[in-house]
Amino acid sequence: MENHQTSLPMKIVVAVLFLFLLAPVLLVFPISFSGEQILSFPPESWSFRWYAALANNSQMMSAFTTSLGLALVVTVLSLAIGIPAAYAIVRLKVAGSQIWYNLFTAPLLLPTIVLGLAILIIFASTGLLGTFTGLVIGHLVVTLPYALRVLAVSLGNLELACEEAASSLGAKPLTVVRRVTLPMMAPGIVATAVLAFLVSFDEVVITMFLAGPRLTTLPVALFHHVESQADPLVASVSVLLVLLTLAIVLVVDRTLGLTRTFVK
Amino acid sequence: MHQNIARDGKLASTDAHLSLEGVCKSYGNFTAVSKLDLGVRKGELIALLGPSGCGKTTTLRMIAGLIQPSGGRIAVAGREVTFAPPYARDMGLVFQSYALFPHMTVARNVAFGLEMRKLARSEIAARVEKALDMVQLRHLAERKPRELSGGQQQRVALARALVIEPSILLLDEPLSNLDAKLRDEMRTQIRDIQQELGITTVFVTHDQVEALSMCDRVVVMRGGAVEQVGTPHEIYEEPATSFVASFVGRTNRLKGIREGKGAVRLGPELVRISSYVADGEIELMIRPHRISIAWHEGQPVGNAADGENRLTASLARITFIGDLVQYHFHSAGGEIIVEQATARDTSQRRVGDMATLSWRVEDTFAFGAER
Ligand SMILES: Nc1ncnc2c1ncn2[C@@H]1O[C@H](COP(=O)(O)OP(=O)(O)OP(=O)(O)O)[C@@H](O)[C@H]1O
Ligand SMILES: [Mg+2]
Repeated sequence: MENHQTSLPMKIVVAVLFLFLLAPVLLVFPISFSGEQILSFPPESWSFRWYAALANNSQMMSAFTTSLGLALVVTVLSLAIGIPAAYAIVRLKVAGSQIWYNLFTAPLLLPTIVLGLAILIIFASTGLLGTFTGLVIGHLVVTLPYALRVLAVSLGNLELACEEAASSLGAKPLTVVRRVTLPMMAPGIVATAVLAFLVSFDEVVITMFLAGPRLTTLPVALFHHVESQADPLVASVSVLLVLLTLAIVLVVDRTLGLTRTFVK
Repeated sequence: MHQNIARDGKLASTDAHLSLEGVCKSYGNFTAVSKLDLGVRKGELIALLGPSGCGKTTTLRMIAGLIQPSGGRIAVAGREVTFAPPYARDMGLVFQSYALFPHMTVARNVAFGLEMRKLARSEIAARVEKALDMVQLRHLAERKPRELSGGQQQRVALARALVIEPSILLLDEPLSNLDAKLRDEMRTQIRDIQQELGITTVFVTHDQVEALSMCDRVVVMRGGAVEQVGTPHEIYEEPATSFVASFVGRTNRLKGIREGKGAVRLGPELVRISSYVADGEIELMIRPHRISIAWHEGQPVGNAADGENRLTASLARITFIGDLVQYHFHSAGGEIIVEQATARDTSQRRVGDMATLSWRVEDTFAFGAER
């Protein structure tokens, strides 16, 4: 990045804003080390007992595994569907591609609760409720519009000339895609993967409609837990989630650079 | 040398290695290229010369197969390729914007075309090295394109196109980003390689020096159409239109009225022309260095020699540009610039000095005035 000169008042504004945004997240850290039986701040005693409780809570742990597996499958599928779709729309300009694009990204504008309800109605009659496949499909409805949008923008920003050069050097269309288009889209693909993973991992509304008693995701399990108990277990789960997100972001930053991935 | 090339650029179809027949390209109702006929013989280096936006790149991209013509046909070695995909054409293309692969090193960029041709690894390595030597970039083989200067990128693009030894080489202003010295070197290099391998080459440029100095023939384009096709000598000495005369080389433009069969009247004076042109208003063009000056210094100027045109003029301004001096004169036909090699007495001339300007009748280009 270039060196921007930031004035002092601006720095203060930014600092206050950050504090405002991050305060709830930061608050979770001390609470997770609470020794108390119920949620309170500041805690009167300190301990690791809620982390131990989490490790022994088989329901939470299996919800976590489900969430992780679900997010991974959804991420892979989002890319597997999103990349060819973006290519067909941006590069091949198939008939009515603008209409397709708008149609595919429309769910972004709909209230998720409406989507959840609609999916519930359809799934109820097809036996997909409470199944892993059902969750995957439900999450794809939310992640695909994001994926398509990010991938289409990333592909649209690529200079066509490189693909043309490859083609005139003798590369057939599929080779051009494999050797030139995809590598050049790499930042967009990583951004999409991260986005799809996090969106799926965080999804609550639609999942609430689709999850069953035996198959649930971490956010939904957490939600139900809070409904019945107000212990600091949720704080320790939150801390782990924050750390997971941070780890993903760090890996992306190290491998590709954050600004290159998300800003451009 | 090219006796069998007609003046309009058409070749007997058996003779042309690359031929374009009535090729058009329109975008909506805007015509970027209209009815282009062109024949390029095997091993020939031909320049597409013209101002910005005249359709040079569009023409080149149609030859490469990157855009489809709206009409006409393109053939290579007698085989029609008008709608063949680019990868099946075996053409080397250097883009105006280089279009290097940003995620590959210089060496990998250059190797790409050879890999597509499924050559053995050892051969690829050897040819890449040779190509990089040729453009003097071997020491940068492991860099990424974004770590190179504009001129270096341009040379990589050139190496990438040349290394595949294509049957046709298409260059879109490949030297525009180089400094004068490197540009001269690259010109000679491109010319040498092109002749050594006998690659039929189309070279797009808006630099007339480049077009005249290194090409076998020059196609002057304007507004999507061909104005003239000819050897550099023909283009310079026998421009077909006033546009060609003024675009290639420097020229004076005088306005006059036709009088009789072979003369044009400029105010009180008559100028003879060698060939018939339109009636009415005529535009005369004379190259600045083809005019000689006889200063009026007391003694009378002798009679006009046979085949010579004369015009009386008064000195308005002198511009000294090192090796050359430009004298700007007022004459009955408008301003005339005369260029001469710098001499000792240059500085003695004063504004208002009278002179008789003379030049040969065949150096007078006459065109019907453009509306
Ligand atoms: N995709 C397009 N849609 C509409 N008009 C176009 C398109 N591509 C090119 N043109 C127009 O066609 C004309 C010819 O363009 P072209 O790129 O061939 O010019 P050029 O001779 O290469 O100019 P330059 O020397 O500036 O590169 C221009 O007027 C341009 O605006
Ligand atoms: Mg151009």
